[in-house]
Amino acid sequence: MWRKIVRTGRVAEPAPERPDGEVPEQAAELAGSVQIRHVDAGSCNGCEVEIASAFGPVYDAERYGARLVASPRHADALMVTGPVTRNMEMALRRTHDAVSEPRLVIALGDCARDCGVFAGAYGVAGAVRDVVDVDVEVPGCPPRPEAIVAALRGLTGR
Amino acid sequence: MNLVGTLYVTALAGCAVAALAALTAPARARLPLTGWCTAVAGAVGAAAGVAALSGGVSAGVSAGVSPGGPAGGSGPSWSAWLPDLLPLAGVRLAIDPLGGVFVAVTGLVTVCAAIYGIGYCAHGLDGRLFQAVLPLFVAALLLVPAAASVSTFLLTWELMAVTSLLLVLAEHRRRAEVGRAGLWYAVMTHLGLVAILAGLVAFAAGAAGESFAELRAAELPPGAATVVFLATAAGFASKAGIVPLHVWLPRAHPEAPSHVSALMSAAMVNLGAYGIIRVGLDLLGGGPAWWWLLVLAAGALSALYGILQAAVTSDLKRLLGYSTTENLGLVLVGVGAAGFFAVSDLPVPAALALAAALLHVVNHAAFKTVLFLSAGSVLHATGTRDLDALGGLRTRLPYTTAVFAVGALCASALPPGNAFVSEWLLLQSLIHALPGAGVAGAVTMPLAVGVIALSAGLAVATFVKAFGVGFLARPRSAEAEAARESPPPMLAAMTFAAVGCVVLALAPTLVVPALGRAVGVVFPGRDVVSGELTLRLAGVSGMISPLLIAAALVIAVVAVLGLVRLTAARRARRAARLWDCGAGPMSARMEYTATSFAEPLQRVFDDVLAPESDVDVTPMKESAYLVERVRFQARVPDRIEHRLYDPLIAAAAAVGNRARALATGSVHRYLGYGFWALTGALLVLVALW
Ligand code: SF4
Repeated sequence: MWRKIVRTGRVAEPAPERPDGEVPEQAAELAGSVQIRHVDAGSCNGCEVEIASAFGPVYDAERYGARLVASPRHADALMVTGPVTRNMEMALRRTHDAVSEPRLVIALGDCARDCGVFAGAYGVAGAVRDVVDVDVEVPGCPPRPEAIVAALRGLTGR
Repeated sequence: MNLVGTLYVTALAGCAVAALAALTAPARARLPLTGWCTAVAGAVGAAAGVAALSGGVSAGVSAGVSPGGPAGGSGPSWSAWLPDLLPLAGVRLAIDPLGGVFVAVTGLVTVCAAIYGIGYCAHGLDGRLFQAVLPLFVAALLLVPAAASVSTFLLTWELMAVTSLLLVLAEHRRRAEVGRAGLWYAVMTHLGLVAILAGLVAFAAGAAGESFAELRAAELPPGAATVVFLATAAGFASKAGIVPLHVWLPRAHPEAPSHVSALMSAAMVNLGAYGIIRVGLDLLGGGPAWWWLLVLAAGALSALYGILQAAVTSDLKRLLGYSTTENLGLVLVGVGAAGFFAVSDLPVPAALALAAALLHVVNHAAFKTVLFLSAGSVLHATGTRDLDALGGLRTRLPYTTAVFAVGALCASALPPGNAFVSEWLLLQSLIHALPGAGVAGAVTMPLAVGVIALSAGLAVATFVKAFGVGFLARPRSAEAEAARESPPPMLAAMTFAAVGCVVLALAPTLVVPALGRAVGVVFPGRDVVSGELTLRLAGVSGMISPLLIAAALVIAVVAVLGLVRLTAARRARRAARLWDCGAGPMSARMEYTATSFAEPLQRVFDDVLAPESDVDVTPMKESAYLVERVRFQARVPDRIEHRLYDPLIAAAAAVGNRARALATGSVHRYLGYGFWALTGALLVLVALW
């Protein structure tokens, strides 16, 4: 493994400039460390692939203080992807309730923002903002990892 | 007769009265009458044991009924010779401090078990025979450590085996398993008896007579001594449930009624260790170092194997049975170390190791009584021993839960439990022996320390599982849901046993000096420990104060709770729903079961345990790709039984089948067999002599 590490070297992109803009008040309290729980409310998994690469070695979102965790009980923020389907509506509400305050919600991808290509489908209950309060939206179908990282840096302020 | 003798004979008489009461009393009075008689007999027996312990070795008065007691300063506290009771040899009894330990332990366990039985036996176990055999079993248990001649010892040993077998079989009409367990037990215990019989008879043949005093004085040639030791040690090890002779134990203990299991596990198996100490260290007076390294290795193997099997089983009483194997293994580690140190001229660690072994016998008896009695209470309330089907008993059986918690804490060898003290003593003796123990010691002792540490760690996992899965969370079956607390006699007996555990845990200083006197029987002239609050080891540096440890723990817990109160939770609290993955509502099916809790351990020890699993897929009729049902089955068989006993049994069965042709049913043939056998024997004798 050591050889592999040496041979591969550093693959992370150089950190771009921090996007301008104020950190929202609630996020400021987190002091630059945001623990995130991802909720798939009905996505096509395109967004998930991009999240995985945003947290992978190349874009490496963790160096800016954002981190994915395994339970809403450990989280400061929810990252919701996909339109909210009827099956996931109650689960999303409960997950939201389970996050300790102050809590943030990131709606990731066009589906999460306004149901995207699934708008009007019979199984869709609505966009994320119809179910829980949304603080940050990341547009794109799917959003590029750079956009995800930029949105997260907006929260961590780093 | 002196005090010890009076008390001891009274206890035996009490057992006889209890047995008579069981046979003659009317059905309604039978249970309380027998139970209380047995309990009183147990209490008096315990008093006799304690008196023998506190009387000291040199102060003992030989007050035999006839001049049978050995003269001199190191005689027993009480001895008796009843030449007319048995033909040829008579009955010879003597209680010295070493036997006194085991008499006292048996007595105290009997008190708990007998009172418990009054409540436990009310449904179906109140028959005459069962109730009469129990006091006889107790009497046999009291007699074995007091037997002072080969014939008396063998007779009482067999009495103990037969009575316990009858008790194990008590519920054979209800479950077929019981019969099978009884068969295993009967065969194993009688093979053990044969081994002990052969060994002791060979011993007596080489000595001037068959009383223990004469055996002690005998000088056996080394080869004969080795044969005697190996034969008796094998027999005693099978009684003590030592690997690989343990197979009867995890079968018989679960199937016996719970108070019988308690008696067997807390009093009877101890006598296996007693036998090894008595014959190996006392009568044979030591021997070559490899004997004791063998004992130590067998003990270490049992400790590890027993607790590993306990960790992965999900039957509560089977778990406790395997834990007995573990603890007796630890006792034998102590005994083996004591013998080894004595041979290698290290008297201080030798006495310490033996004291630790005896203390562990006492501690194990205390917590195993608690655990088996509370497991019986669970069984009484729910009708199942399967941990996977229990759970949620904390609210339904609060007393049982509290008592089981005490027992589980003690059994997991953590402070402030009592097993912690004895394992600490054992470790001290092993560590302090290192500089002078030679190459064999330098190799074995660190390994033994490692084994003790590993078994203690696994014991924690085992009892966290037993308590957490069995008693906490939600009930996983309708039986557990409908559980009701047990009747008062059972609760009283359990509480009494738990109090005993707590006393042993907090004040071992009350017990250990007395055990030092028992050690004095084997290694004379040495104090093992001193101190009233703090246990100070004599001869080596080392001390422990369980009372202070417990106090410090309580203070630490209170301080942490207070600090959390003070510093945390400054924000307003918000009532939130229990996190159930958003899918709720929570159900008992989401809980850890005993099987799933043990799965990681099972995976770690995969090579040792060799678990078996098989998946059975039933496809639909229309297509092989559509599945109708998937059945998954996993079990962890006892590997030693699998590998060692199954082939043996198969071979025996094959020989039996083959030999069928010999038994045709013709009487003439059988007479012919008899004739030829006799002639053959005579011919062999003529040729050899
Ligand atoms: S935004 Fe696009 S990629 Fe993301 S879930 Fe919707 S359709 Fe899939």
